[in-house]
Amino acid sequence: MSKRKPAYIWFPLLVVLVAIPLGFFYVDWNKSGEGAGLYSRHWSPEAIFAYWSPTNFYQSTDSVVGEFSGEQCVDCHQSVTPGVVNDWRNSRHSKPANNQNVVYCSDCHGNNHQALHLPTPDVCADCHSVQHNQFVDEKRYGFPSHSLALERAMDARHFADKPKAEVTACLQCHSVASKCDSCHSRHLFSAAEARRSEACISCHSGPPHPDDETYFHSKHGQLYLKEGENWDWSKPLGKGNYPAPTCAYCHMDNGRHQVADKAIWKFGLKQVNPLTSANQLKRNQWIELCADCHEKNWSAEQLKQLDAERKLSWGKLYQAEAVLRDLRSDDLIQPSAKQRPPYPMDSPDAFLQYQRIGFFEGQASAFYNVSPIERDYFEMWYFDNLKSYKAAAHGDASFVREGQAEMDASLETIKKKAERLRSTGGEKLEKEDKGNIWLEGEYTEYNRDNN
Amino acid sequence: MISRTFFFCFSAMVFTGYVVADDKVSGVFNNAQCVQCHEKTDGDLIVSWRKSVHAKSGQLVDCVACHGSDHENVATKARQDQACIECHGGAKDPVVHSYLTSKHGVLNRIEASNRDWSKPLAMANYRAPGCAYCHMRAGEHDVSISVRQDIMQESRSVQDEMRAVCHDCHSPRYISRLLENGEAMLEIARMKVREADNLIKQAETKFSGQQLAAVRQQRLKMQQHLLNVGLGAGHQSPDYQWWHGQPALDGDLLRIKGFISELMSNP
Repeated sequence: MSKRKPAYIWFPLLVVLVAIPLGFFYVDWNKSGEGAGLYSRHWSPEAIFAYWSPTNFYQSTDSVVGEFSGEQCVDCHQSVTPGVVNDWRNSRHSKPANNQNVVYCSDCHGNNHQALHLPTPDVCADCHSVQHNQFVDEKRYGFPSHSLALERAMDARHFADKPKAEVTACLQCHSVASKCDSCHSRHLFSAAEARRSEACISCHSGPPHPDDETYFHSKHGQLYLKEGENWDWSKPLGKGNYPAPTCAYCHMDNGRHQVADKAIWKFGLKQVNPLTSANQLKRNQWIELCADCHEKNWSAEQLKQLDAERKLSWGKLYQAEAVLRDLRSDDLIQPSAKQRPPYPMDSPDAFLQYQRIGFFEGQASAFYNVSPIERDYFEMWYFDNLKSYKAAAHGDASFVREGQAEMDASLETIKKKAERLRSTGGEKLEKEDKGNIWLEGEYTEYNRDNN
Repeated sequence: MISRTFFFCFSAMVFTGYVVADDKVSGVFNNAQCVQCHEKTDGDLIVSWRKSVHAKSGQLVDCVACHGSDHENVATKARQDQACIECHGGAKDPVVHSYLTSKHGVLNRIEASNRDWSKPLAMANYRAPGCAYCHMRAGEHDVSISVRQDIMQESRSVQDEMRAVCHDCHSPRYISRLLENGEAMLEIARMKVREADNLIKQAETKFSGQQLAAVRQQRLKMQQHLLNVGLGAGHQSPDYQWWHGQPALDGDLLRIKGFISELMSNP
């Protein structure tokens, strides 16, 4: 008689042979929907998404029939889309140096007009392999990074949740992972253009990432605005070539196509320990870079000041989080998560409906379908906090003060609102949605069924 | 004097839908003189200007306002973004800022020093369009036809007007997809506004104006955020479509709901 195998053998075997493959299968199955990414089965793309994520969504449907040479493309498009041809004529693609071949339209888009493709970075990699390798390699530093930007955007809960026409702008910026022309605009594809600070601001602006405002307001940015017009932008981003740094000079030093490799505090959305050995290495990289112009001790001191600003900000953010968590424990947040309209992405985790407070609970999606006090915290965390952070990182003291003052005001508002909620008392709060204020309404109902 | 000016104007202006040469006439003129002369040389221009919001609004924006009174480089001056920005609120105003942070605006800033503004506003003469390239295409002086008059209504004619401009540089399919998407995006923004308006209407039957003061204030912010979505889609500024637009509207809507539900709990 054979003895039954003991549990310490069959249980791990079961996990390895069944549970893990099932897990992989489940994730793959989730990714096989009409959309893309983790929630692909929950949404279908807008037609315009083809241009932001060609690999996932682009299909050539052009009615022009035939195969054309590069010269023929130019001949015809000269009158159809003259701007494209003008740009190309001024580009290095049409006037290559060192007896290289001319790069025609067809080299990137294909010859067959009914099977044209929208060039992705892989296409540019045929010639620009060094830059492309650097760009792809950036993934190992995780997110935030340019090369992971698109997939992380599509995997965001709020992206999946909202009507797709509403969230198009997300992909417009996050498509930086799928198109080199986010920075080297088509069809000039100029290196000099991407070296300029403005090249970054169509995405790096606005309340959660005021990189433009804080940089242009700093001494570096002021010098750039004053004199930049006369600098020689054909020079690479290396030591001694520019009197003041641009975005790319620091974040893509020496033209390396990575922005994430030196990031210590990243987006500033969660607290990190800036003194780990890995971060110490990054700190040294920064000091080395600043040494192009600054004395090392001075740069080290600037980085310490940034650490201090972060510590101060997180102190305030944690106070606000504590107020909200206390309200949540006492069931004083109105409407509570259970009283809110079930959004499309709520169904998978309907059992775990609770107010998401803090980064690790999904704070990034806490800007819609929440109570006003949660929204106050969202703005404090995502707008005020990041203003102060970006200003500190870019060396703009006045915006640090502004950001801190806004955080103080937000914290004060949150505390006052919490007091009022407590004084009106839990038993007096409406537990039902009187008048269906929260559950009904044109947009609310539309979003319930359309995402 | 007037007849001499007229003679010069006539010989200098080549009317091809837009003014090509602008340096043959010299002197300083006022608006009445400009109109008097140009009504004869290129009357369409004056007719279309008269139809525009620039001529009709209380604040008259006349020839001199954009072109200056000196006839030297008279067209070149008015084609530059700066001619519009001053009146349209300056660089920080959403109307202007949404353009300046778009890729078109960025390219115009980067390439400002080698931009030749003497070229006509057509046929992709500019690498990236400035304000006038799109809103005054080929010298069209009725800016109203390229601007939505009522943000709550779809405007097919503005879309068609823009479609023609965008084609100078972009493929027809790309433009159609962008226009459809922009309209759908704006319609979602309108839904949020209508949802709020409906709630406010109901609340007005139960509560006094004073009680609803905070609601009204939030509704004003909502109007700007709605405009921002339109500006973001029109000027292709992702940040105005999104952070200054949709999530800002979400915040307005839930705050309006919060105020009203608080009033209902503690009347």
